[in-house]
Amino acid sequence: MKKIEILFTLMIAPLSVWASGGEVPLMQVDLAHDAGTRKQGAEVVLTVCTGCHNLKYIKYRDLQAVGFSQQEIDDLRGAAEMTAPIMSLSPPDMLKDTYGVVPPDLSLIAKARAGKGRYVYTLFNNFYMRADGNVDNHLFPGIRMPDVLGVAAMGEGPDKKAFQESMKKVASFLEWASDPNAEERESLGFYVLIYLIIFTLMLGVMKRRIWADVH
Amino acid sequence: MSDDDKVKDPQRRDFLGKATAVVGGAGAAAACWPLVSSMNPATDVLSKATTEVDIGSISKGEAKTIAWQGKPVFIVHRTEDQIRAMNESPGGKDPQPDGQRVIKPEWLVIVGICTHLGCVPNRSATGWSCPCHGSQYDLSGRILKGPAPRNLELPPYQFVTDNKIIIGKA
Amino acid sequence: MSKHPVIEWIDRRFPFTAFVKHELTEYKVPRNLSYWWNFGFLAGFVLLLQIVSGVFLAMHYKPDAKLAFDSIEHIMREVNYGWLLRYLHSTGASAFFAVIYIHMARTLYYGSFRAPREIMWWTGQVLLLSLMATAFMGYLLPWGQMSYWGAQVITNLFGATPIIGGDVVVWLRGDFVVGDATINRFFVLHFFFPFLICGIVLVHLVALHFVRSSNPSGINLRAEENISLHPYFTFKDLFGLGVFLIIFCAFVFFSPDFFIEPDNNIPANPLQTPPHIVPEWYFLPFYAILRAIPDMLGGVVAMTLSVMVFAAMPYLDRSKIPGGSRYRPLYRAMFGVFVLDIALLTYVGAQPATDEMTIIGRIATTIYFSMFMLLPIMSKKEEAWLFVRGLPQEVMAMIAEEKDDDRRRREKDRRKNERRREQE
Repeated sequence: MKKIEILFTLMIAPLSVWASGGEVPLMQVDLAHDAGTRKQGAEVVLTVCTGCHNLKYIKYRDLQAVGFSQQEIDDLRGAAEMTAPIMSLSPPDMLKDTYGVVPPDLSLIAKARAGKGRYVYTLFNNFYMRADGNVDNHLFPGIRMPDVLGVAAMGEGPDKKAFQESMKKVASFLEWASDPNAEERESLGFYVLIYLIIFTLMLGVMKRRIWADVH
Repeated sequence: MSDDDKVKDPQRRDFLGKATAVVGGAGAAAACWPLVSSMNPATDVLSKATTEVDIGSISKGEAKTIAWQGKPVFIVHRTEDQIRAMNESPGGKDPQPDGQRVIKPEWLVIVGICTHLGCVPNRSATGWSCPCHGSQYDLSGRILKGPAPRNLELPPYQFVTDNKIIIGKA
Repeated sequence: MSKHPVIEWIDRRFPFTAFVKHELTEYKVPRNLSYWWNFGFLAGFVLLLQIVSGVFLAMHYKPDAKLAFDSIEHIMREVNYGWLLRYLHSTGASAFFAVIYIHMARTLYYGSFRAPREIMWWTGQVLLLSLMATAFMGYLLPWGQMSYWGAQVITNLFGATPIIGGDVVVWLRGDFVVGDATINRFFVLHFFFPFLICGIVLVHLVALHFVRSSNPSGINLRAEENISLHPYFTFKDLFGLGVFLIIFCAFVFFSPDFFIEPDNNIPANPLQTPPHIVPEWYFLPFYAILRAIPDMLGGVVAMTLSVMVFAAMPYLDRSKIPGGSRYRPLYRAMFGVFVLDIALLTYVGAQPATDEMTIIGRIATTIYFSMFMLLPIMSKKEEAWLFVRGLPQEVMAMIAEEKDDDRRRREKDRRKNERRREQE
């Protein structure tokens, strides 16, 4: 009985640190998927988020794909190589001391959450001020990340609108970062499907003709 | 009825059969391309095709070995005496004027792989000598003695600033 | 038509033309086979696809707890068409099970497992088990959270072995938890198992070409109702393959993450379990059966039994009426209930284990096993009822024929025995 309990705990352990987003529905949002939007999102990520988070599967050279010029990349990377991954400047030990956890890497974060970019967008819209004056998050209760953008105190108004627009771009960039080949994949897939449909039709006609003398 | 006639026309059936075979064969061949392509160097390997080197720290008479595309590249800051000596010498069995082997005479940049069988030559008093079969190179990387057939290769490189070169891009 | 000199040269040394004739152009197949008979060919194709994509993935993958996750991202981002190889392979795993399950359902529905096709059915059963093992070990390799905890939970199941359970689990893992030793051996075995699978497939095919295909009617067709495999069924199979590839590629290119849990994009963390662990969809019914039994050993036994019980089908179905569902309304109904029950178990397996879900899971598990347990009685009862109700002439003729065959065989045996006795 003890063993089965352990087993079941392993299977279904509800750990609140892992936000599953079960209670708060994800917000409906249309994310633009063009290089311009992504670049603006990347600028926010590279100036704000990478203070604590790594983006280790994205290398400086990859930023060319979202429209950064060589000069802009040179300014961003400083002494780092073009081929170096984009890493936070804060040492992980210090971050762990401050927040209790090492902030997760952001290069796969969109894919690692059901809803992808929508999750990211919803998360940022769900910071609120608790009665005790501390900031918490509806989507991710007990989140360790501080409300760096001051969403909880923002209220409704032009500030919030601008913030939301900016977050859409961040979500769009993070979706790209988690799956940079999506566009190549879909455009190739289009031709593959066209080919397969034509070829299958040809095979269908062949099969009918071959079978014509059987029926 | 007309459909039946078509079916019984062997030529038409033959044409469709050939067309299907061609389309299917082309598709199968195209499907092999990603497999072949996946064995080529990946983009992270390709992105190391160029290497930036800060040469400001190499003082006169000193040399530095760096890795470019995984290969050793010797960068030598030659003294005036060395430059003069190299200018006077025509080289060995693969003669080439020193002027054709450098961009700026004080900087020699050569691929440190012996042209004989691919060992990495060691620094010697007069240049380099290969530990494997004793080929000797001068301070212009030209072959003087030994089994190696050619001078040491020159990588494509350019000066970004006076103190910085980029190897792999001419 | 005269033979090509090269073919002739080969034929003197290797039975090439004879083989092509025997297995393709003159291999006879019932002409009434429906598209449900395509799935064996499709399974063979998916096996090839998995082997090819897997071999090329293995050129870039690193079976090391520290490197595995990064090497997958390297494949996805840096290797030329690496994303395509990986998505073909991950989608291919699901496609493999989909195709195999339909292939099995067809066999059950039409009674193709019955004599003389038991060896095909049993080699198929071994193939299913090998496929499950291969898929399970392959799922660990990306070293994501789902990979890790899936392997942790499943290897723990072996802890239910009486007495030596704990040792077995440690032996399987080569570590006290799933670790570096585990991923290394799982990679080797994941690569090795397909060799076994290919060998068993060969036996499966030799058996098929010996006993030949069953057909939807379940009764033996007259010789003139059979047609050659090539070109008739080769083209029918190729057309089916085209349709399959359209569906398959739609997933690979437009929704490749459909079969990948978001949590598996988080590197394995041995200190933290994700809140909701679900196995891959193809294991859900068996997982639901495991959870339905409130005892670890019992659960593991029930789960194992739920897969292995299929092997008994040729003996559980005792009806003299040939074939499966064509002439047998009761068998058809039982098949329908069974399929719906599996759908229910799949649903239950995907849900968190709440009280209601546990109860539904137990009911569905009971139905699952009772279908097998009732079959011997039901098939006999159905037989008696159908004899009274009347069956089409060709069915009765076939039953009579088999009786004749039986009698002749017994007669022969008797005479042989008599002769031996005389000699003695």
